Amino acid sequence: MIEYTIRLKRISKTILADGWVWRMAWRDARHNGLRLALFMASLVVGIMALVALDSLNNSLQNDIDRNAKELLGADILVNANRPFEAELKSLFDSIPHPQADEADMASMVLFLHSGSSRLIRLVALRGAFPFYGKIETQPADAYEKMKDGGCALLDETLASQYEVSSGDTIKIGNSKFPVAGVVTKIPGGGGILSTLTPSVYIAWAELDSTRLVQYGSRVNYRKYIKTASDEQAVELAGKLKPLARKYGHGFDDVEERKRELGEAFQSVYRFFSLLAFIALILGCIGIASSVHLYAREKRAEVAVLRCIGSSGWQAFNIFFIQIFFLGILGSFIGSLLGIGIQQLLPFLFGNLVPVEITLSVSWLSVMKGMLLGTVMGTLFSMLPLLSIRFVPPLTVLRADFEEVKVFSKAKVAAIAGVVLFPVAFAVWQTGEAVTGLLFVAGLVVALGMLALVALLLLRSVRKFFPTRASFIWRHALANLFRPNNQSRVLMVTIGLGAFLVATLNIIEKSLLSQVEFSGRENQSNTILFDIQPWQKEGVIALMKENNLAVNQVVPIVTCRLAEVKGEPIDVLQRDTTDRVPNWALTREYRVTYRDSLHHSEELIQGELQRKSSGKDSVWVTISEGMHENLEVTVGDSLVFDVQGVPVKARISGIRKVDWPKDPPNFIFVFPAGVLEEAPQVYVTSTRIADQQQANQFQQRLVNEYPNISLIDLRLILSTVNELFDKLGAVIRFMALFSIITGLVVLAGSVINSKFIRIKENVLLRTLGARTRQINRITLIEYGYVGLFSALTGMILSLGGGYLLTTFFFKITFAFSWPELVTTIAGVVFLTILIGWWNSREVIATPPLQILRKEV
Amino acid sequence: MTQPILQADNLTKTYISGATPLTVLHNVSFAVRQGDTVAIIGPSGSGKTTLLGLCAGLDVPTSGTITLMGLKLNSMTEDDRAYIRNQYLGFVFQNFQLLQTLTALENVMVPLELRGEKNVASRAIELLKRVGLADRLHHYPSQLSGGEQQRVAMARAFITNPKMLFADEPTGNLDDENARHLTELLFKLNQEEGTTLVLVTHNLELAQKTNRILRMRGGELIEDSSAVSIVQS
Repeated sequence: MIEYTIRLKRISKTILADGWVWRMAWRDARHNGLRLALFMASLVVGIMALVALDSLNNSLQNDIDRNAKELLGADILVNANRPFEAELKSLFDSIPHPQADEADMASMVLFLHSGSSRLIRLVALRGAFPFYGKIETQPADAYEKMKDGGCALLDETLASQYEVSSGDTIKIGNSKFPVAGVVTKIPGGGGILSTLTPSVYIAWAELDSTRLVQYGSRVNYRKYIKTASDEQAVELAGKLKPLARKYGHGFDDVEERKRELGEAFQSVYRFFSLLAFIALILGCIGIASSVHLYAREKRAEVAVLRCIGSSGWQAFNIFFIQIFFLGILGSFIGSLLGIGIQQLLPFLFGNLVPVEITLSVSWLSVMKGMLLGTVMGTLFSMLPLLSIRFVPPLTVLRADFEEVKVFSKAKVAAIAGVVLFPVAFAVWQTGEAVTGLLFVAGLVVALGMLALVALLLLRSVRKFFPTRASFIWRHALANLFRPNNQSRVLMVTIGLGAFLVATLNIIEKSLLSQVEFSGRENQSNTILFDIQPWQKEGVIALMKENNLAVNQVVPIVTCRLAEVKGEPIDVLQRDTTDRVPNWALTREYRVTYRDSLHHSEELIQGELQRKSSGKDSVWVTISEGMHENLEVTVGDSLVFDVQGVPVKARISGIRKVDWPKDPPNFIFVFPAGVLEEAPQVYVTSTRIADQQQANQFQQRLVNEYPNISLIDLRLILSTVNELFDKLGAVIRFMALFSIITGLVVLAGSVINSKFIRIKENVLLRTLGARTRQINRITLIEYGYVGLFSALTGMILSLGGGYLLTTFFFKITFAFSWPELVTTIAGVVFLTILIGWWNSREVIATPPLQILRKEV
Repeated sequence: MTQPILQADNLTKTYISGATPLTVLHNVSFAVRQGDTVAIIGPSGSGKTTLLGLCAGLDVPTSGTITLMGLKLNSMTEDDRAYIRNQYLGFVFQNFQLLQTLTALENVMVPLELRGEKNVASRAIELLKRVGLADRLHHYPSQLSGGEQQRVAMARAFITNPKMLFADEPTGNLDDENARHLTELLFKLNQEEGTTLVLVTHNLELAQKTNRILRMRGGELIEDSSAVSIVQS
């Protein structure tokens, strides 16, 4: 009798020790090059964006580190919005180090050569500022000329905007200055600041001659100090900082400036890198979707391998190795392209930052990108790939054999990885656990919503299928429901890009509509401020002469808080448990007095301000929001220091203020009969219909009342527009990465479904379809994909935009149909182009060739 | 007397199709001795392919036991059964089941490579020469005819010197001439290698080349006799 003595000696080899899986991975990859390359391409775009930003951020941080002293222009800076107190002045006087002074204030400038005028920031300089770096001018000696006195310098943007040349004359306040040249670079200046508030520079000694500094003028003073060494700077900071804080002044030293700037750009970088991360996640979703199809197609081969003895893990490892190395390769290519893109970013970011960006390559960023891409790509592929482990060998005999759903530990680990890794990355990137979690939660909600909208759209199309449309339109639409067409994944990935662009557009429109005054009847669009009491009647007369309505004439009294709820300000400042911000305690408040509500105000709690509270105090109202900052409510006591006179007050009510509506609006409003005798200035507002009328009025105003400044809200509108143009360009650029990723996923999908398409086309051609008809079907199909993707994004962006504007920005929801339609058209066009480009082979192949290949 | 190389006892297999259970094998029992050549015949849906799959360890029965070379397959994990298949079994399928991304030579090498053996190309080339494909070593399956593909599959099945060879309609996708040629090759290699052969076929001409026929109908084994007697009947 034969006895079989077989023992199981199966040895499980690790992936590294199992040479066979590596050989099989290579053999299989030779035949799937294009498809595998497409998995990689989905990854490339996201990594490219991340590496470009990360490398740029590193360069920028290095530049800030290297140029920190030049950014400040000195070792120490103290800045105040009123003249320095005697205590501080005597400390400055006792310091043996070189010092420089700067004063700046808002003022009107009149360009005599053209007669036009504009609100500018007037900067008066004294001393050897800057101590580090230099003010670059054109001509080169213009700064020295200006310091000698008698002439002015203009920011380059202002000079080019008003076509001012050297030698032209400008009028500021009561003085006229010939223009010595333009400032092209100034320490700490430039960047976006010069767009918002263009500056005119004069010598400190000239400031008095302008007679602009009067009661009520808001002048900022800066003291720049240069020390001989960093140690001296630290020692001096120890003395100056507490004193500056005591009076509520700003204090900056090189380290602080470095940290502030570094943090500011780090925040911007984090925001943009999260946008890039979205592109990477989209790419990974694309990979997961493609790998899912790939794994499904590989079932037959895996079944054969299982049949001839491969273990489940061995079969899995073959494809895992492919995906893993593609992840590395894709990340490497993405990183290299990222370095290329980085060279373009300064053109986008350049005008937003105050330092010159050095184009250096950060290899750390490249390494980070490669690691991130490999991990993310592999993680997202794991889930669909793990199904390979459970392909039953019986499938070789019965193709319809249904596999049992297995929920393995590896699957649980892969799901955990897919969820946790993006969270970990977002937390690391934002530096805050809550923000990181919120970002991922938001992204998951957005993707979930997009998937839901896509599903509903597709269901509606199915339900209301246009059965009467021509064959070509019907067939193209039916193709969306073809197996393996990935229609929903495409709608989510391309839709997310469209969503980002459209949401940005909605927020931009909504914010702009807040400052959009031109369409509102009788709404003030011009504000005149710093009107001295003796000028009030004259200014009103001038407005009337120019047929301008005097919408409101409001007195303004400046004061500070001396006590809050019975506690002196200095006690509150020292109290570490007190959460009231220092700025709210020490700032200068510009208050008004009246007995009624302005039409931009609504009383939401308590009563209106009134003269007597019966307790030696007056009742004042406070604006909503500020009561939270100061942690006060109705009935709480305050003491105001009105030009040295203490005024006791109690809060009678809280006003909700629509700040942009018919300015000026106020934080504190006093009752009439209290502040009338205090030193005060007036503000008035009017509506000027057109630019010509504005020019005429401004010219007369600047000539007759040179100290009065005028804010043209239309100019603010155009400035805000310009700001949005600059920021929007960057955000759109980042959103573009998401759209490109979506299109790469689309290209992958087209290639994935290539064989089904070829079979279908062969059938159509055999039945007599012409190339033109097949072309049209293809174009229309991708038109549908693009349209539905864009619609998915649009629907969500309208919903998301409404929620964001209403509940986060608390502004009126607004959007522009033409711009949304343009976005949709752009997405549709790109989708058709990519879809058609990748289908050319499918369309052009003759049927016989396909039949011979036994497709 | 020899212990059977394959012993099937009361095999029953039930699939769940939707919510309805579908029993495709009912209490099938038989034994195969080493060196036997067995054909399983029967009409479509009679359960012969399911029986072959269970005997080869490609699936497990709902009830009953399969003992292959003294090992009970039921109690093994799928990966252990895969190991047994690799070490002791060979397969030939109706639709060839070659790996499309591998050349003919690579396809034949795979089972030995899976074992971790080195320098397997020479053995694979020799087998491919024996099946008449010396000039097709580096061709991909899509570049070979059906008959050539099945010869590659046969070389792959024999490269491990299997104790048992399972063949599912090995000539089902071939024309008459190729089928005849393949049949001769299969039995020649089987004889030379001393392999036990179990094949599933509709083709009585092929079945009669075996020395034993199992006839299936409706999931039951209805006849087990010598090939000669069945063909005569």
